Amino acid sequence: MTHSSPRGALFIKSVVLLIGALLLFAPFLFQETRSLEVAARICIFVVLVASYDLLIGYTGIVSFAHTMFFGFGAYGAAIALKQMGPGWDAVLVGVLAGLAVSIVVAIAIGLLSLRVKAIFFAMITLAAASVVLVLASQLSDLTGGEDGITYKAPQVFKTANKLMVDDAGKVARVFGVKLNGKLAAYYFVFTSCLVLFILCLRMVASPLGTVLKAIRENEARAEAIGYRVVAYRTFVFCIAAVAASLAGSIYAIWLKYTGPDTALSFTIMIDILLMVVIGGMGTMYGAVIGAVLLVLAQYYLRDLMGAASDALHGIPLLPELFEPDRWLLWLGIIFILLVYFFPKGIAGTIWDKGARS
Amino acid sequence: MSQPSLVTEGLTIRFGGHVAVNNVSCTFNPGELTVIVGPNGAGKTTYFNLISGQLPASEGRVFLKGNDDISGLAPSARARRGIGRAFQLTNLFPALSVLENIRLAVQARSGHGWRFFSAVTKFKTLTDEAQHYLEATKLADKAHMTAASLPHGDQRKLEVALLMAMEPDIYMFDEPTAGMSLDHTPDVLDLIGKLKEDKTKTILLVEHKMSVVRALADRIIVLHNGELLADGAPDEVMQSQIVRDVYLGSSGEDAA
Repeated sequence: MTHSSPRGALFIKSVVLLIGALLLFAPFLFQETRSLEVAARICIFVVLVASYDLLIGYTGIVSFAHTMFFGFGAYGAAIALKQMGPGWDAVLVGVLAGLAVSIVVAIAIGLLSLRVKAIFFAMITLAAASVVLVLASQLSDLTGGEDGITYKAPQVFKTANKLMVDDAGKVARVFGVKLNGKLAAYYFVFTSCLVLFILCLRMVASPLGTVLKAIRENEARAEAIGYRVVAYRTFVFCIAAVAASLAGSIYAIWLKYTGPDTALSFTIMIDILLMVVIGGMGTMYGAVIGAVLLVLAQYYLRDLMGAASDALHGIPLLPELFEPDRWLLWLGIIFILLVYFFPKGIAGTIWDKGARS
Repeated sequence: MSQPSLVTEGLTIRFGGHVAVNNVSCTFNPGELTVIVGPNGAGKTTYFNLISGQLPASEGRVFLKGNDDISGLAPSARARRGIGRAFQLTNLFPALSVLENIRLAVQARSGHGWRFFSAVTKFKTLTDEAQHYLEATKLADKAHMTAASLPHGDQRKLEVALLMAMEPDIYMFDEPTAGMSLDHTPDVLDLIGKLKEDKTKTILLVEHKMSVVRALADRIIVLHNGELLADGAPDEVMQSQIVRDVYLGSSGEDAA
């Protein structure tokens, strides 16, 4: 029952390091457009889930407004790039505008409602997120409504942009990979997300992180030994909002499209919740594992089932069972099994197992 | 005599029509261990909550060191001004290790709680100080167990250690030996006895066990139906007829 857990911790950290290496070399290892989309989406969701873990796993705050902050960042960058044209000045203005709105809203929600009971706080965040979702579709002059906005990313990130040219004046290749703007854009996403994730990791290991855990464990006692609980909770709520907002801006720059489905919908919130539960709440490394598993499942489970269905052709019942259109059913079953066998999430459960053996 | 360390002035709280603590004025001095006794529902714990800030007083004021009015402050602010409060039911950070529990109290006092970039292990003084209190309470060999996995007696010791690590001027213990078997109570009582040696500290103790009261008390105050009924030296209070009537009740015999 000790906290130091050499084997489990080592295993989880190795897995996360391996995933990090795969993501780092993703453009070279998986040379298709779709796999790069998947890798970028994983990077973004690692940040979203890690920052959400600060709230739900470390501090015990249940919020349904995480996608709202993600959306502020995404729409900030999108609107600025649309209005000001593709340039770094637009990116800067968009990111800062998204951050400013996120911080103001986070402080307002935090101070007004972090004093109330957890369930009421969750309801207030849900209400705020719904209002913003409606606003985004109503203010169509600014946000493009349900259709969203398409815009151009800064010049460097254009697919046609040649980072290096060979003798013939064509875009240079390394291991067959074109050194173009798409590659630059991916490494922009990867690096920013890596920095944000490391900041989250450092935060949970810091003195502040211990206070957050104390608040999760026993709020009244944390207050009684001298920690101003409301201030700490509001602060971490703002930090998580800032991280989500930055992730949103990065994603907007990557996608060159921002709409309710990619930046604000409750489906994203549900994805975040699934990832944090599958990975393991309060583990931080679980964010990586959860994001990888769920994003991979969302992109490849259908293909895998299609293949299985074809392979089982001729056998009664089974091909229908693996019909690609039933992928959500299987995702649900996998999720239930994961929760059953890994009650503390994959990272949390394996971490503890290592401690006992 | 030096100035009092803690003064409550007309402290009152009403829950609807019920007056749980009624106009309690009392002065506590450094180097003094006061035991608060009274039957169940007398308002002892509520009185504690009013002093340490868990409940807001309907009327009345609380002063530290003579004239520092802390009446409107949150519990965390009162804690930083020197009030260390332990609770009747074991009230720790269950999933955190014993060391982490103590370090949190040291850290709260040191003001490092907002540092968010460096690892907590880099703050060696925090860990060293926490270690010191673990040794003082003989919990050092259990430093890496979670608080939840400790036996009950050790959890109560950890409560005391947590308070000591806050280095408060005023210690408030609410039945520190509750739920402990008689052979384990001496450990916790020894710790509290040792705290008495520092004559700058004020100790308030809610306790039912008469053996404990006799061993430790410099002074006894009696609460009954939220009112201050008696206040004085232990012998004097224990022998007064009014206390015998209300506190010892119909059974008429010493609870110990």
